[in-house]
Amino acid sequence: MLLQQLVNGLTLGAVYTLIALAFSLVMGILSVLNLAIGELFMLGGYIGFAVIAMHFPLPVALAAGMAGAAILSVVIQKVAYEPLRDAPLVTPMLSTLGFSIILQNVVTNVWGSDPLQLPSEMFDNRVALGSVDIGVMQLVVVGATVALVAIVAYIVQQTSVGRALRAVAESREVARLLGVSVNRVTLVAFLISGLLAGAAGVLISLHYAAITPYIGVDIGLKAIAVMVIGGTTRVFGALIAGPLIGIVEVFTIAYGGSQIRDLVVYGLMILILLLRPQGLLGGSRQDVGPRV
Amino acid sequence: MLTVRGLEVFYGPIRALRGIDLDIHAGEIVALIGANGAGKTTAVRAIAGLTPFRGTITYKGRPLIPNSAEMNLRAGLSLVPEGRGILGQMTVDDNLQMGIYCRKDRADAAHDIERMFDRFPILRERRASLANLLSGGEQQMLAIARALLSRPNLLLLDEPSLGLAPKTTAQVFDLITSLRSEGLTVLLVEQKARQTLKIADRAYLIETGHVVMSGRAADLANDSLISKAFLGGTSVATAETA
Repeated sequence: MLLQQLVNGLTLGAVYTLIALAFSLVMGILSVLNLAIGELFMLGGYIGFAVIAMHFPLPVALAAGMAGAAILSVVIQKVAYEPLRDAPLVTPMLSTLGFSIILQNVVTNVWGSDPLQLPSEMFDNRVALGSVDIGVMQLVVVGATVALVAIVAYIVQQTSVGRALRAVAESREVARLLGVSVNRVTLVAFLISGLLAGAAGVLISLHYAAITPYIGVDIGLKAIAVMVIGGTTRVFGALIAGPLIGIVEVFTIAYGGSQIRDLVVYGLMILILLLRPQGLLGGSRQDVGPRV
Repeated sequence: MLTVRGLEVFYGPIRALRGIDLDIHAGEIVALIGANGAGKTTAVRAIAGLTPFRGTITYKGRPLIPNSAEMNLRAGLSLVPEGRGILGQMTVDDNLQMGIYCRKDRADAAHDIERMFDRFPILRERRASLANLLSGGEQQMLAIARALLSRPNLLLLDEPSLGLAPKTTAQVFDLITSLRSEGLTVLLVEQKARQTLKIADRAYLIETGHVVMSGRAADLANDSLISKAFLGGTSVATAETA
């Protein structure tokens, strides 16, 4: 039972990690909370659903969901962020909030407000490992998350584009002096962020074999909590905080009841913020990111 | 190489530069000296492309577009900003890699990094360290090395001696002199007028956004106005004799 819940928690945590990383890339580099990421995640899920419904294999659904969310993320960068780049930080944040509401509305009108469901047997293959019963889709979720996080880590840490991303995150002015086009780097951050959110949407919706237009709000808010717990100034803080929150949530549901899961998750977030406002991976106590 | 005419910079309603003219010729060290707040940093930031300006700045016969630092770097201007502009959360290696960010000749650029390590051996020793863990002098070496990696024709240095011990300051000034002997043109913004005028070929004195005096550095070093304002009433020549 304990191991089974641990696996379930890691699966949910993997998805939180991907979305929190999507938030974190934009937040860490531009100090902007892109509130539309939750809806990019939701949209990725719907696209994945639609592709699976057309009998394409899972990798195609994953690629389509990622591409759709990434393209929309670039549109958000161009329309909701770029024109407001020099405005107070709260302004682009509100602009992305507006975008997220529009997206939810569009999806509700296209696919309806009722949950869409796949035939339950579609991704229901399971593997027994001793007393633990693992769904193949759970393995796919965790495996794809590990692969995507590794790719993002490689890009950010080892490539010229990644160094430029980090340079802009640290000092936009110095980055410009070194020949970095801040606009191009910003676009890359939004693009990667959209790819991750879209992937998370496809993975979680196929794992649950169901999706609703409101999934982005619930899971998106938790992913923000994950980012904050990991440390808003540390892009990879989500790698610790995501699995932690996933496991805490699943254990709370299993042993305390689903009616208190949000109380426990957000209570934990507040507790960690009181004890370590910089988050688990943040540096000094002052390392808390910008005030909005 | 660089001609500045009628340069004006505004910070909101404040006119920080009031129409200054500068000329920098290839292969010389030109100094901008003046008190704190005189407008030296504003001028060099405008030339580097970090600040919108009025007037004209012509580099190698082509006018520079205001506030276009990325293009200016590619044209051959590289600024080491006041405070060094080190990317402290990145390693020494990453900082140097950022120095070749805009270069297309990746193989040559990689060799240039090795040459910088030969020139500044301490950077090779500390290549895996976070840049903010270096000493002030090491950070200044890193900042200059990084700027040189873009292969500039004109190096702009804003207060390179700021916060450095006298011995380290002397090393930085020796380095600037050796860069000139290698053919690099340098625009040096400094408050340490005495040392600056010793290594510069020509200098401009800026006060409240105006150029109030210019000429050969050796002449300015002996000028009574300069010596009164910046050299504690003693000219460079007198100080050296003493």
